[in-house]
Amino acid sequence: MTEPNIAIQLRGLSKRFGRQEVLRDVHLDIPAGASVALTGANGAGKTTLLRCMASVLRPTAGEVRWFGRSAWRNPDARRLIGTVAHQSGLYPHLTLRENLVFAARMCDVPKPLRRADELLSSLGLQASADRTPAEVSQGMRQRVALARGLIHDPAILFLDEPFSGLDVAGTQWLCGLLDELHALERTVCFAVHDPDMVRRLADTVLELRSGRVEHHDVAALKPDAQAREDANLSLAGASGFNGLRCAGCGRAA
Amino acid sequence: MDYGARGAVGRHDKERYVTAKLWWMMHKDLASEWRARRVWPAMLLLGIVVALMFAVQMGLSPEQKQETVGSLLWLAIFFAGMLAMDRSFVAEREEGCWEGLLSYPVSPTAVYFAKLAVNAIALAAIQCVLIPLFVALSDVPLLERPWAMLAVAVLGNVGIAAIGTLLSGLAAGIRHGANLSVLLVLPLVIPVVLGAAEATRLGMEETLDAAWWRWCQLLGAFAVVFTTAGAVLFDFVVED
Amino acid sequence: MHSRLWCIPVAALVAAAILAVCLVAPTEETMGDAQRIVYIHVAMAWLALVGFLIVGAAGAMYLRGRNLLWDHWAQAAAELGWLCASLTLATGSLWAHAAWNTWWTWDPRLLTSFILWAAYSGYLLVRGSLDDPHRRARLGAVLAIVGVFDVPLVIMATRWFRGMHPTSPGMDPTMRLVLWLSVFSFTGLFVLLLAIRRRQLRQEGLLADLERQTPLEDRYAKERTCLPS
Repeated sequence: MTEPNIAIQLRGLSKRFGRQEVLRDVHLDIPAGASVALTGANGAGKTTLLRCMASVLRPTAGEVRWFGRSAWRNPDARRLIGTVAHQSGLYPHLTLRENLVFAARMCDVPKPLRRADELLSSLGLQASADRTPAEVSQGMRQRVALARGLIHDPAILFLDEPFSGLDVAGTQWLCGLLDELHALERTVCFAVHDPDMVRRLADTVLELRSGRVEHHDVAALKPDAQAREDANLSLAGASGFNGLRCAGCGRAA
Repeated sequence: MDYGARGAVGRHDKERYVTAKLWWMMHKDLASEWRARRVWPAMLLLGIVVALMFAVQMGLSPEQKQETVGSLLWLAIFFAGMLAMDRSFVAEREEGCWEGLLSYPVSPTAVYFAKLAVNAIALAAIQCVLIPLFVALSDVPLLERPWAMLAVAVLGNVGIAAIGTLLSGLAAGIRHGANLSVLLVLPLVIPVVLGAAEATRLGMEETLDAAWWRWCQLLGAFAVVFTTAGAVLFDFVVED
Repeated sequence: MHSRLWCIPVAALVAAAILAVCLVAPTEETMGDAQRIVYIHVAMAWLALVGFLIVGAAGAMYLRGRNLLWDHWAQAAAELGWLCASLTLATGSLWAHAAWNTWWTWDPRLLTSFILWAAYSGYLLVRGSLDDPHRRARLGAVLAIVGVFDVPLVIMATRWFRGMHPTSPGMDPTMRLVLWLSVFSFTGLFVLLLAIRRRQLRQEGLLADLERQTPLEDRYAKERTCLPS
């Protein structure tokens, strides 16, 4: 039985594209409230792992659970997650407001119009609310895409390279947002290139190398990193060298 | 940034408001199309061009025209409809909207029904244009029994939309798949095209006999079988 | 290995059938010797239909358990079935020419055969444009299941449509016997080829798995150590 405060649980997750094995036998427990960064070179499999965790991509083998609930073929459980992909996911012919209202309606958010307006004003996009995505800047589109992922206040958020295409102000804003989410005990899992962002935001780092999740470090920069480490940051046992080992904390549970 | 209380969404176990979601997905597609005006004009144009081409060929006697007009009409409807169905899926895949749609708490079956409904509406639009056009061009009494024509139009519509939606969705995920989808659907949709053509022809006869009714039953069976098959199989089509 | 044993009786059976078709079956009055095509044509038509059902069933089984072994059956059956469907059209066309002096007519059974052939072709085209084995298996299975549900509707539609195909030719008992022999022996050949082809596909799959597990560098390293010093 899964402990209730394990937000994301992966067991034996493998993904193969034809002959290429992108993920091999990944075992992972991510506790609620964790801030997990996925790092690795281009083509290492970060996006694939993220998409499998968000149940957008079906793994070749293995299973994914969110708070103990199976992620696959379980539309209700999708209320627990929000995804922000590489592409904005905004319909090009609907206005920003309409895009958010649609997302709110699909996620069963009560009073979708009000919620969309709330989000737009907190993003400072009230003035552009009636424009289509093509008519606003890339940074604004990215903010709206984030709002779309957060519109139903999910417990887990998956972000794929959220900092790409953001200017300094946008980056600062996003860091602030992620800090807020962390303070509210939301689980955030994001794929990034930039090691500075990793140090700044993450308390757990997973590195993917050539498609294998080889090792993970506990980033030691956050003051309470040790406390978090002693908390329920458990890693399930891995099979052989393909699995995940806790090199930093010396535990291979 | 305030993004609402933790309990903004109730932690329900059943998928609620599926009908509402269906409605909003349809609304989204129709609103997008109304603003973009990309698919429907091409679709209607194709239907009209095909109809005109057929009309040019028809230097036939009235009896012969009555024999052939049903097939020509339904072929035109089919090709125009396939264009619409293909392009609607392809359009959704740009900007990552398709993945976004699938990441919502809505089952793929609901997405299928929404797409099916929108495609059926598109087909109905084609029918509303082409049937009067054929009546005008070839001077056959297609609308002699309007309710019979309506029944056949609805049943044929749903059948084509059901199988077309499923297979366009399948082909949209394949590289260069848009070229494949008509090829995949055409042999399988022959019962509908044939059945609807025959029923249209029989609907113009002096009396409606059992044959007409039998063809309608076939069309109905096709519509039911493929709507069900689509609802079940669409889950497998959208897996990646 | 066992397929080698089966080769002999199947070959004997097919040879017997062909001999029976040529020598034992009586010559038909109206068409003469050309009528003998029907023995092959009926067998091919039957096998094309059976093959399609196998593809559909194997596809459904794949979707249930996601085991690629079922997909091997589906692919093998699709390839052989396509061949049978093509031969059905070819022999049917020859027969039509002999009987009605036309290479093609739009009548129920020919139309159904054509649709079956087109469905097979579509299935193989879809498979051909996908590289990932699981994706290929999954989308192929969906297409095959749709096709299988479609076939009865196609048969009904074409049957009710006017046509010239003889429904059941009143056959001489000897002719009927030869027909059964032909169908039986070609079914045996089909099953044998199906088993062989499926085994080929399975071995290809295993080889691919093996290649994947041994990293490229290690394979070359092993080769180097084998060289004489």
